Amino acid sequence: MHGLVLALWIANVLLDTAGQLAFKAAAGDERAGDGLARWRYMFARPWIWTGIACYVAEFVVWIAFLSLVPLSEGVLLGSINIVAIMIAGRLLFREKLSPLRVTGILLVAAGVAIVGAGS
Amino acid sequence: MKRFYLVGFALLLAFDSLNLVCFKMAGAHALPVEVSTAWLARVFAHPWIYGAVLGYIGAFVTWMSLLKHAPIGPAFAASHLEVVSVMALSWWLFAEPVRPTQIAGAIAIVAGIVCLAIAEGDEGADAHAVPA
Repeated sequence: MHGLVLALWIANVLLDTAGQLAFKAAAGDERAGDGLARWRYMFARPWIWTGIACYVAEFVVWIAFLSLVPLSEGVLLGSINIVAIMIAGRLLFREKLSPLRVTGILLVAAGVAIVGAGS
Repeated sequence: MKRFYLVGFALLLAFDSLNLVCFKMAGAHALPVEVSTAWLARVFAHPWIYGAVLGYIGAFVTWMSLLKHAPIGPAFAASHLEVVSVMALSWWLFAEPVRPTQIAGAIAIVAGIVCLAIAEGDEGADAHAVPA
């Protein structure tokens, strides 16, 4: 794999993982309350903005990545993000990883990889 | 909680599909593709692009609502049901071919989400037994 492609791919995995964790940190804050007040609370704090910034940067990186690699390979590599976010959720939010959950997540990741490989 | 996830993921899928179909239509109306203000002007001259923007906003609001309760690992995996719906829609609306391997992948994704749904049912039972 070309160096630039590899760098863009790693950047994509890191930005996707960081962005989703930031969104979870914003959305999971129990002090935020409900309804419109919850949105006011979230937008007054940095986590949701961190997530949005990661998402925008990821979009640029993804477009650059796809200019070098066919979309099908991009989809194939995207399956890694699912596993990365599962592990990060376990480490940072202590999410329970029961055998059935791990099986489900790995099946989805495998399915996404197969769709990418077969396109 | 079951109903919360069911409605949430159905809405997410609907907004994602709206976004995708609108983008496809906006792109098709703005051909030829070029990196220029003229092309951007063509894209934004059609109502389709505003449907795509609506899809983005709707999906974001739905996702942030889902994450209030949903664990990020399983939820992010489950959001890939979109891959299956995109495949079905592109075949149905745009007559794009679907290959057998893609169908095999779609089946694996759906099977994985069924596992996650069953696992969530078990978690729900636990939550009732031990109130947090």
